[in-house]
Amino acid sequence: MASTTAQPTLSFPRDTFAKLSPHPYLLAHLQPSSSASPSTRANGRSPTTFRAPHVNNGSLTHAEGSAVVRIGDTTVVCGIRGEILLASNVAGYRVDRSSTAPSSKPGYNETKELDLLVPNIELATGCSPAFMPGQPPSTLAQSLSTRVYSLLHSSGLVNGEDLKIWYQPPDLSDQDKMDVEDSESIEPEVKAFWTLYIDILFISLDGNPFDAAWAAVVSALRNVRLPKAYWDPDREMILCEDAVAVSKKLRLNGMPIAVTALVFRAKEQAPTGDNKYWVLVDPDAFEEGLCDESVTVVVDCTGGETKMLGISKAGGTVVGREQVKQMVGLAATRWAQLGPLLKG
Amino acid sequence: IQICVNKMNDRRRINGPSGGTSAPVYSKYLSKDTKDLSERPSRTRNSNVLRKMFLKTGVTPSASGSAYLELEASKSPHVIAPGLASLSTSGLKLTCTVHGPRPLPKSAPFSPHIILTTHVKYAPFATRRRRGYLRDASERDLGVHLETALRGVIIGDRWPKSGVEVIITILEGEEDQWWGDDIGRGNMGVGEWGMMSVLSGCITVASAAIADAGIDCVDVVSGGVAAVVRPGAQGKQSTMLVLDPVPSEHQEILAASVVAYLTSRDEITDLWVKGEIGHENHRTPNSSFSYEDLADNAVQAALGAHRVLIGALKETADMKMRRS
Repeated sequence: MASTTAQPTLSFPRDTFAKLSPHPYLLAHLQPSSSASPSTRANGRSPTTFRAPHVNNGSLTHAEGSAVVRIGDTTVVCGIRGEILLASNVAGYRVDRSSTAPSSKPGYNETKELDLLVPNIELATGCSPAFMPGQPPSTLAQSLSTRVYSLLHSSGLVNGEDLKIWYQPPDLSDQDKMDVEDSESIEPEVKAFWTLYIDILFISLDGNPFDAAWAAVVSALRNVRLPKAYWDPDREMILCEDAVAVSKKLRLNGMPIAVTALVFRAKEQAPTGDNKYWVLVDPDAFEEGLCDESVTVVVDCTGGETKMLGISKAGGTVVGREQVKQMVGLAATRWAQLGPLLKG
Repeated sequence: IQICVNKMNDRRRINGPSGGTSAPVYSKYLSKDTKDLSERPSRTRNSNVLRKMFLKTGVTPSASGSAYLELEASKSPHVIAPGLASLSTSGLKLTCTVHGPRPLPKSAPFSPHIILTTHVKYAPFATRRRRGYLRDASERDLGVHLETALRGVIIGDRWPKSGVEVIITILEGEEDQWWGDDIGRGNMGVGEWGMMSVLSGCITVASAAIADAGIDCVDVVSGGVAAVVRPGAQGKQSTMLVLDPVPSEHQEILAASVVAYLTSRDEITDLWVKGEIGHENHRTPNSSFSYEDLADNAVQAALGAHRVLIGALKETADMKMRRS
């Protein structure tokens, strides 16, 4: 005789549901069946809420500048080391007098041509089970490094003049000569450049690596103190002074920040037209696995006006001009929140 | 002057200028000014006092277990004017993540016990001379010692066909000597004393991360380091035995030892000794320490680290109980 007891309903804890069927899990949060519960993301935030940032500067002893940025569970450490590049070691470089210098030509980005800024992102630190050490940089790490590199140069954040080490040769001409035509004074020349190695290591990764990495780079650059460097003609080398009083900080051009958002669609396969979607700002790792389309906006609100340094979107056709406009507005509020922290 | 010209042009990373760059040389290195040389740091603690240790678990929530360890940098009492950080004495900052127990890849042969893999890496900004991204011999050395220390502690039989990975990133490492003695002629004649403190820290932080991951162990292992040093000018004074040495505080280090010690069982899982302190027969009144003394003192240092470790793990356990 078959027993007719009712089948007990299966019920799992929330974490298990999230692992077994992530897409319906997130959709149920954003589109709750009862109108009483509010629409939120799986992590409890609204689609336009950022995670709280924490920034810490100057904690590394051997770095000229450093920053530790924690946004939610994503933690990143950025250390900047300065090294000297002698002008004589630059292939094809002619002595840089201020009047005939290649950098005096408009449009010539000397910092980029000479590779004076070297950012590198290292993800293979065990920051998440997907990124194990001992492997060469993955596609994600390479593309992140390249994005930071191009944003560094296109934003003009670092002033190339700060990286030059000048030398004023002594005037050894005959003191008696009073020739008027010969009165041109000896021009100072550039003997060497500072090269900044910007190394970004991820301690923990829970989504949105680019925003955290870029914030760490900006904060570390603000923290950099370059020692006073000069050319010693007797020893024929560059020497530095370690006293803080004669060291200098970099003069940075503005303070750009990056804001990334992903698009979550209700029906994964349906065409865009009749598909409900949500734009989720500052995504975590769970949401990254469920979304294809991403938008990143870089803004700088220094001086009160919101300037856009870059917009990039890829992966879908949902985001249009309206959504980008909204994102720029959100980015401006994020700038107001993050700006004072990055200033250090 | 070190010139990093031999950079294998790694196409997968952003490379610096092709001409090669060199680390900044400070005029203090080259000056024979006695004023600067008097800024040599010296040990202010007693010989049996350890530095303050900060240990916290759970820094990487997506990993099975993780921990962060920090030893404060010692401040020199003789510094005249504030100098840039790069000439100060560094502390020790390590993070450790543990991933596992995870199933082995299908291609791996059957293993009746857990396979432990360790990976230690210096960050490029961790030491005075910038390190590259490829692992070098000293990092592999540290990895092997760490694996030896942990293998004796983990109960491997409970996890057949599984692997566990312990990954340590060194954010700031101990240096081998005071910058004033390092006149840039390379590491000739200087042992790698900094690495011993780093290994001791690695053992302690890995132990915390493994406990955070909930992997069964017979005991909690902690690392300790002790050294025989000769303070002052060569040969003039007698030797001293100190716990938790900071290499830049001592002019001459004769020998050092690192132990990985299990407190409840009074056992050692790893012992590493470097240096020469002579045989029984050649013992002079000036150097009266034996290798046994050195190891015993390193065990004392490990006991000190053990106390901090237990405190941190108790906090972690309380937090996990409250959450579940």
